[in-house]
Amino acid sequence: MAARGLVILGAVVLCSLVAVFHGAEGIMFSDLQKTLLVSASPRPGQVLEAGADKITVTWSLNQTYQSGSTDSSYKTVELKLCYAPISQKDRPWRKTVNDNLAKDKTCQHGIVSQPYTPSNSTFSWTISRDVPTATYFIRAYAYNSQSKEVAYGQTTDAGKTTDLFEIRGISGRHVSLDVASAVFSAFSVVSLFGFFYLEKRKAKRATQEK
Amino acid sequence: MDGVTMDREQGRFALPVDSEHKATVFPIFSVAKPHMRAFHLSWLQFFSCFVSSFAAAPLLPIIRDNLNLTATSIGDAGIAAVSGAVFARLAMGAACDLVGPRVASAWITLLTAPAVYCSSIADSAMSFLLVRFFTGFSLATFVSTQFWMTSMFSPPIVGRANGLASGWGDLGGGATQLIMPLVYDLIIRFGVTNFTAWRMAFFIPAILQTMTTYAVMIFGQDTPDGNFRGLQKSGRKHRDKFSKVFFHGIRNHRAWLTALCYGYSFGVVLTMNNVISQFFYDRFDLKLYNAGVIAASFGLTNIFARPGGGVLSDILGRRFGMRGRLWGWWIFQTLGGVLCIFLGRAGSLGASVAMMLLLSIFVQASCGLTFGVVPFVSRRAMGVISGITGGGGNIGAVLIQVIFFKGSKFSTEVGITYMGIMVIVCTLPIALIYFPQWGGMIRGPKPNYTEEDYYLSEWSEEEQQQGFHETSMKFAENSRSERSRKIDSISSPTEIATATHV
Repeated sequence: MAARGLVILGAVVLCSLVAVFHGAEGIMFSDLQKTLLVSASPRPGQVLEAGADKITVTWSLNQTYQSGSTDSSYKTVELKLCYAPISQKDRPWRKTVNDNLAKDKTCQHGIVSQPYTPSNSTFSWTISRDVPTATYFIRAYAYNSQSKEVAYGQTTDAGKTTDLFEIRGISGRHVSLDVASAVFSAFSVVSLFGFFYLEKRKAKRATQEK
Repeated sequence: MDGVTMDREQGRFALPVDSEHKATVFPIFSVAKPHMRAFHLSWLQFFSCFVSSFAAAPLLPIIRDNLNLTATSIGDAGIAAVSGAVFARLAMGAACDLVGPRVASAWITLLTAPAVYCSSIADSAMSFLLVRFFTGFSLATFVSTQFWMTSMFSPPIVGRANGLASGWGDLGGGATQLIMPLVYDLIIRFGVTNFTAWRMAFFIPAILQTMTTYAVMIFGQDTPDGNFRGLQKSGRKHRDKFSKVFFHGIRNHRAWLTALCYGYSFGVVLTMNNVISQFFYDRFDLKLYNAGVIAASFGLTNIFARPGGGVLSDILGRRFGMRGRLWGWWIFQTLGGVLCIFLGRAGSLGASVAMMLLLSIFVQASCGLTFGVVPFVSRRAMGVISGITGGGGNIGAVLIQVIFFKGSKFSTEVGITYMGIMVIVCTLPIALIYFPQWGGMIRGPKPNYTEEDYYLSEWSEEEQQQGFHETSMKFAENSRSERSRKIDSISSPTEIATATHV
């Protein structure tokens, strides 16, 4: 009886250990080869408006990186908008986690996803309205057929200091919301005094009727 | 009171009542006037204030991007949300003693509703902090619920009345984690951008807060005998002086002890309402809605957790008197601290959720156990005592968030562990609470010291001569239930008095 319990316990422990170690095998950023060349239309320090301005991104394979068939495994390319270090400061929800790409939060906004071709590709993107105010750069990831990252390229340098641009997000406010807030607020204050006045009158009438 | 008068009084009320006309039973699903109606109005109003005060928490992942917030400014706003109520609760306590719970609560909720409406026009870290600060003032309605329940329900069941009203009100902190993402999702489906959708969502808690307050004013009644204003004008209720009430409240050292200890049960509840959603969202990579569901379950255990604490307090009071109530409070709150430590150290999602649920039960039950003791600290300044204790709860939340959850100093899980240690330490002062007529955790009662001696010490000779102390006398008699069985043999002065009346 006790032996059977121990065997089951051992199996459970073993399985969870396997799961833990298997899960910990995330892809590291340093595993990726920087074989893609990416450039984008915003000039360094330019400020763009979300929902209005366009960004044109161009990418291709860097022919001079390494000779040989480095790109045979590349199936899709995805371009993403990524936070520059200044916009990650004191914001742990945008943290760069280089030893496990699955947990990396640097690039949270997708621009486009296309099948891979080694030649020049372009895409023109209107910045969507849910992109927040921040400083950005653009990165491209190449994925293999198992949807795992194998290569990348980005518009900025390794230290993420050059060629950064800003996007100004929408405020989300509307005149109708402003008006509604003011009206409802005024109404609740007025109704308070209304109740107060009614209470006084009720109490006065009660003592008069006595 | 002789038998004939009691029957005549009994006929006026739907429920059986004691000599102060407070109900002696608690039929939870009834809406009988005025007792049960007061209960339902009270907890609904408090619930809506909780929904408003923590409405921002589950939507933070959207708000933090829209307003370009940092972890520090989010922490500051969370602290502001609970610090506003510190003085508001104190003021509310005094206001209840003077103008009654209906009017006092209406003032605070209708004056803070604009802050909730204006949350939708916040556009910076500072404006966000300000709206959370002013919205948080509405948490002072806690004091009015406790005052109102203590006015409506008799001492042997005051624990459960207080526990249910505040527990079901606290549910708002959990419900909001579900309501706000749901409302947000609904608005998004209509094609509204995320940065506008969260703003529109805030109208729901604001309108709820306004409607429940209207219900309180229209359908509620301050005391079993009527509203404060009417009773004061007709002379049936002595209109006490603010200075006297305040003086007797702050002079009672027990109020400060309960305030300190409540800071580490309710303080934990408020802190968790603020940090738990982001904790699950960021640590386990959950979707916004799922993090909200898990975070909501923390507050949702309050359907039975805090009321359970109140009921347990009443049961311990019946069997062991006030000493039982104190011991029960200390044990549960200490266990709450231990569970915080376990939660901080749990590694997997499953273990974290389990620890969080256990923690929510023990910590919220401790809140209920606290307010099984507070109604007995003072009769004359009951509102002020509730206000001081309630304020202490918020101060605890401010301290906890400032020390452990501000900026990026500690990760959230480490902060929770340290919070648990502080809870265990700051729960020890319960052992210092001593009632001479009933005893404390360590020492027994003073011999021959009665409930009348305790409660009448709040009234001077001249005041007693003018008969202002009558309600305190009745309360003293009704609170004899707080004696532990062993000292039942001490005869009370009124037993001798009624013997001569006949």
